Amino acid sequence: MSAHPARGRVPLTLLMLVVLAYFALPLLWLLIASTKSLAELFSTFGLWFGEFRLLDNVEETFSTDDGVYWLWLRNTLLYSLVSAVGAALLAALAGYGFAQYEFRGKRVLFWCVLGSVMVPATALAIPTYLMFSRLGLTNTPLAVILPSLVSPFGIYLMRIYAEATVPPELIEAARLDGAGEWRIFRTIAFRLLVPGFVTILLFTFVATWNNYFLPLVMLSEPHWYPLTLGLAHWNAMATAGGGATAAFNIVICGALISILPLIVAFVLLQRHWYRPRGA
Amino acid sequence: MRDTERHTTGRRCALLSVAGLCVVLAVVACGGRGGGAVKGPVDVAAALRQPATITVWTWMPGTPEAVKMFRRAYPHIKVKVEHVGQGPPHYQKLRTALKAGRGLPDVVHMELQYIPSFLLTESLLDMTPYLPPEFLEGYPEWIRRQVNVDGGIYGVPWDTGPVGLIYRRDLLEQANIRTPIETWDEFADAAIAYHKANPDSYLVNMPGGQMGQWLALFWQAGARPFSSDPRNLKVELTDPRIKRVTAFWDRLYAAGAVSHDPDFSDAWYQGFARGRYAGWVSAAWGPVLLEDFTRNSKGRWRAQALPQWRRGEHVSGNWGGSTLAVLKGTEHPAVATEFARWILSEQEPVEMFAFDRYLFPARTAMLNNPRWLDRTYPFYGSQAVDRVFADMNDAVDTTWEWPPILEYVATEGDAILGKSVERGAGATAALQQWQDAVVEYAEQQGLEVAGR
Amino acid sequence: MGDTTRSPRDRHARAGLAFTLPFMALFAAVFVAPLLYALYLSLFRERLVGGREFVGLEHYVEGLQDEAFLGGVGRVALFVAVQVPVMLGLALVLALVLDSGRVRFARLFRVGIFVPYAVPTVIAALMWGFLYGRDFGPIADVANRLGVPAPNLLGADTLLWSIANVTTWTFTGFNMIVLLTALRGIAPEVYEAAALDGAGAVRTALHVKLPLLRPALLLCTVFSVIGAFQLFAEPRIFFTMAPQVIGKDFTPNLYVFNLAFSDHRLNYAAALSFLLGAVVFVVSFVVMHLSRRPATRG
Repeated sequence: MSAHPARGRVPLTLLMLVVLAYFALPLLWLLIASTKSLAELFSTFGLWFGEFRLLDNVEETFSTDDGVYWLWLRNTLLYSLVSAVGAALLAALAGYGFAQYEFRGKRVLFWCVLGSVMVPATALAIPTYLMFSRLGLTNTPLAVILPSLVSPFGIYLMRIYAEATVPPELIEAARLDGAGEWRIFRTIAFRLLVPGFVTILLFTFVATWNNYFLPLVMLSEPHWYPLTLGLAHWNAMATAGGGATAAFNIVICGALISILPLIVAFVLLQRHWYRPRGA
Repeated sequence: MRDTERHTTGRRCALLSVAGLCVVLAVVACGGRGGGAVKGPVDVAAALRQPATITVWTWMPGTPEAVKMFRRAYPHIKVKVEHVGQGPPHYQKLRTALKAGRGLPDVVHMELQYIPSFLLTESLLDMTPYLPPEFLEGYPEWIRRQVNVDGGIYGVPWDTGPVGLIYRRDLLEQANIRTPIETWDEFADAAIAYHKANPDSYLVNMPGGQMGQWLALFWQAGARPFSSDPRNLKVELTDPRIKRVTAFWDRLYAAGAVSHDPDFSDAWYQGFARGRYAGWVSAAWGPVLLEDFTRNSKGRWRAQALPQWRRGEHVSGNWGGSTLAVLKGTEHPAVATEFARWILSEQEPVEMFAFDRYLFPARTAMLNNPRWLDRTYPFYGSQAVDRVFADMNDAVDTTWEWPPILEYVATEGDAILGKSVERGAGATAALQQWQDAVVEYAEQQGLEVAGR
Repeated sequence: MGDTTRSPRDRHARAGLAFTLPFMALFAAVFVAPLLYALYLSLFRERLVGGREFVGLEHYVEGLQDEAFLGGVGRVALFVAVQVPVMLGLALVLALVLDSGRVRFARLFRVGIFVPYAVPTVIAALMWGFLYGRDFGPIADVANRLGVPAPNLLGADTLLWSIANVTTWTFTGFNMIVLLTALRGIAPEVYEAAALDGAGAVRTALHVKLPLLRPALLLCTVFSVIGAFQLFAEPRIFFTMAPQVIGKDFTPNLYVFNLAFSDHRLNYAAALSFLLGAVVFVVSFVVMHLSRRPATRG
């Protein structure tokens, strides 16, 4: 693959730079806009700086509404981390079960799980809310975490991964040695499944971090909001005006800060989501 | 083998469904929140001596300060203030919580126009037993009639929104527009002339989908399109007086003399900041919203009475206006009511809301307070603007009623009229569709529409 | 040796079930149960005045004739028919280009194009919303400087495509990575064989890589279709900027949400979401079926 000459490299690279510019444009705007004061947001050219006020905006973002932004950060981290680990564990267990064993009804159960991705979230939102509220779960972290633990995509992935990487002979050998099924999973199979586990972990982490609809329905106290909901809430307040505490410059700065952790994670964890050939 | 397998598969599926169903039934069967009916004669003073914690849902700025003041008077009562949204999202959250029967606040921000809608679902507490007698005497008559329904008191008035016209004096002077503009005919001429002189600017922006504003103008025009009685609901949205208002604005839309950008959006605020709009048919609370965005035009704004349909008349309408209501299921009816009463009628908090937060007061005493009347605001240069709006407040007709399905009426009106105006078809053409949609919805929900 | 009265097969079956049990229990609780409850709700009507009554399939019949619902479905169907091929086409081209080894700084591009996936759709919609502003947004600013009239990207004719742009911007990178990963899985021997046949880069891409990407492409297509039919966050955020275009029913999910939380028509909303689910199921099924046929042909 690398034996290709440099011919054709420059035009393609330039083309890709244009494409990259498209993807970078809004983020660039966000970065520049975060440095502006409220008044300047509306009076200066969007893609160039005005007076540099980034630190002031950051300070305002973290202090508005008695520092609720910290709570939102904490909540997002909590929901994402717990859901990611939990979903990956459940998927590993179930995926292994589907891959390694034969039991009656396996096919139907599996397709039921897969089919569930086609059900619109709104169909489930209201009844889940009503059920959870009877149990006193609404407006608590569990209301967001429990549904996030169910990842049909994760089951699918894990099953395929388990089928591909766990050799039945190994399992048989362990059984002959007298090991119980759980022990086999714990000591042998899980180790082989780790890369798939990590993939689902990351995928669920991102999905939960970015989830808007579920917390929108389940949470009514800003105290428990994740960042997505909190920023949308501030945006609604800024839009409606009324001498509200949050203004657009804080929404923008808050948005910038909220996407930084994931972006940094994406960059640092590159080898988990794509390993180039030969690496 | 396959038959038994399928049989067992079917059984497994059924088991899964039954498991799910059992979960559902178990959860649904668990009761919700009990009602909070008044038990026996009420000893308000005794109730107020007990320690208690109440939750308040409101978006009104200044509430935390008012709570601090309240706690100095009642140190044993804890108050949790929560901001769950502003306007429609607030009511949506409230409805969802009411349906679930849990997570409900004790005191809730309830705008005047929504009171009948929450009375319909019997969600509000009649505060009469917990309020001092003659409590409503402290308010102008039209406000009294809005909160005093069927002999009960369902909201303690907070602020109101009498409607006037605010404008940029410098821009109008430049275009040779004489102020004050006294009639709607004069207004039409001024709008056309202004836009001719300034092709990039408009005298006002009139969004097609802002029900609060439209209804206030219908109110001013003498229309009474609704009644609050669900057993005899009046819905007359094609009334000639309403058509007069929409036809007036349709002419201006067609002439391109006014814009119809959606309000309360980023682009709309920028419109004020950059002089795209020279004025606003605004409620008294309007300028507070614009302050942050009009720093570069500070001091050049003026307020005047709303233009009239006939010269010499003095009629206005109301846009918005809030109260604090108490929910029926509360465990602390006396404390909740006293909280509402205290922060909205004691002098210290009322003055704080009026002077520091620029809310247009509802209490008569405040409305006649010369300190408030003569106050000037940097936004308006040296004009004593409160006098203008207080004047408009006196001119609000007392017989206006809100429908008990306002959420639907408002959101549907926003969508239908907004779309029609945006398409260039104007607002009048959409009135019948709005009327039909509201009547159909009302009947679907079990209300009895008058004349059907 | 353990229990010898039960066959190893039964023992294994039980173990298999036991492994799947934690997930299935949760699945029953947060998916099956609410779904059944929603079904139950859809068969009743609860009125503001008069309580609950059984109405059977009335809501479903009403939904099939509801212009707002059908309009929304048509709108997202159009959205899917255009946006999904465009996005996946772009992702495919980008994946092929980056895989070809003819681009410098490939890692920069991979990361840079993938990063938008880290941005929640709510934030993406907010950002693009600011950029789209007709009078004062940067795009309009640039147009003005170039002397061209600023495009109205939030108008009735353009808003759907402005939203499509947001979706494409957010998810192209993700799909590109999926395809790149699939490409990486192709054995080097395949390329050697192609090179021996004298195939150049483009022909290799078209006739070797593309067919082998079919399963990955199918996966991406199905998930994109399902996601696009459920469009909610973007229209909701754009509502404040263009309420007269979005209204209450721009997409079916938005309509269902408003029916439930704004109009107090929970039961009708439940029925409509089942109808929507049925539409999504049928379309996904068709997509999967359509893409299988060519493979079975020679």
